[in-house]
Amino acid sequence: MDREDKQFSGGRKYRNDEITVYWKPSACVHASYCYRELIEVFDPGRRPWVDMNGSTTAKIIEVVNLCPTEALAWKWNDDEKNGLVGSDQLNHIKFRRPELMNTNDSVPEEHPVSIKVMVDGPIVLKGNFTLVYNGNKKEVQESIISICRCGASDHQPFCDGQHRKIGFND
Amino acid sequence: MEENKEHKSQAIIEVIDFGPLKIMGNFILKDLKRDTKDSQGEVWLCRCGKSGNKPYCDGSHKR
Repeated sequence: MDREDKQFSGGRKYRNDEITVYWKPSACVHASYCYRELIEVFDPGRRPWVDMNGSTTAKIIEVVNLCPTEALAWKWNDDEKNGLVGSDQLNHIKFRRPELMNTNDSVPEEHPVSIKVMVDGPIVLKGNFTLVYNGNKKEVQESIISICRCGASDHQPFCDGQHRKIGFND
Repeated sequence: MEENKEHKSQAIIEVIDFGPLKIMGNFILKDLKRDTKDSQGEVWLCRCGKSGNKPYCDGSHKR
């Protein structure tokens, strides 16, 4: 087991010389941006699944920033570079991303729901909407869910990552 | 516009039993593979993986 593959509360962290990437599995909705963009680093079929030597720091940062949830986050190992935000907050860099910073009080509540059909993957829905399933009605507010599109999830109607195992192909 | 109002539901997403995902309301649908955008009032998305017209449902789940 990679020495760098250490646990933190509810997840794992992976380091190279410059940055640490944090992985929180419970927050993952299998949007699959990470391995689609950078399989050299993020390979769900490998253990440990993150290889920090697989690409450059800049590219890893770019791909971690694509993650629509808090499942992946990163920060500089040199805390001074992390700016004024407390280093105890794992996702602080992520929260400083402009598109996420913009969510303070003036949230335009009429924003359309963002629905992304991931290549060979699930449907990722983000925003404020009403989800109806199994006779239940649930108000989803300002959050992200992903719906299985391959038919193989054991956690229907939600994605559980099975599409990759069965080789679901669009 | 009032502030601090609850976020209003913009769309109804309905999971049809043994069928597609029905989406109605205010949304922007992006199909990343085909690089297309759709914001019609209502779409039906395939959930079984068998549609010949992905990501849309074409009734293949019944066959």
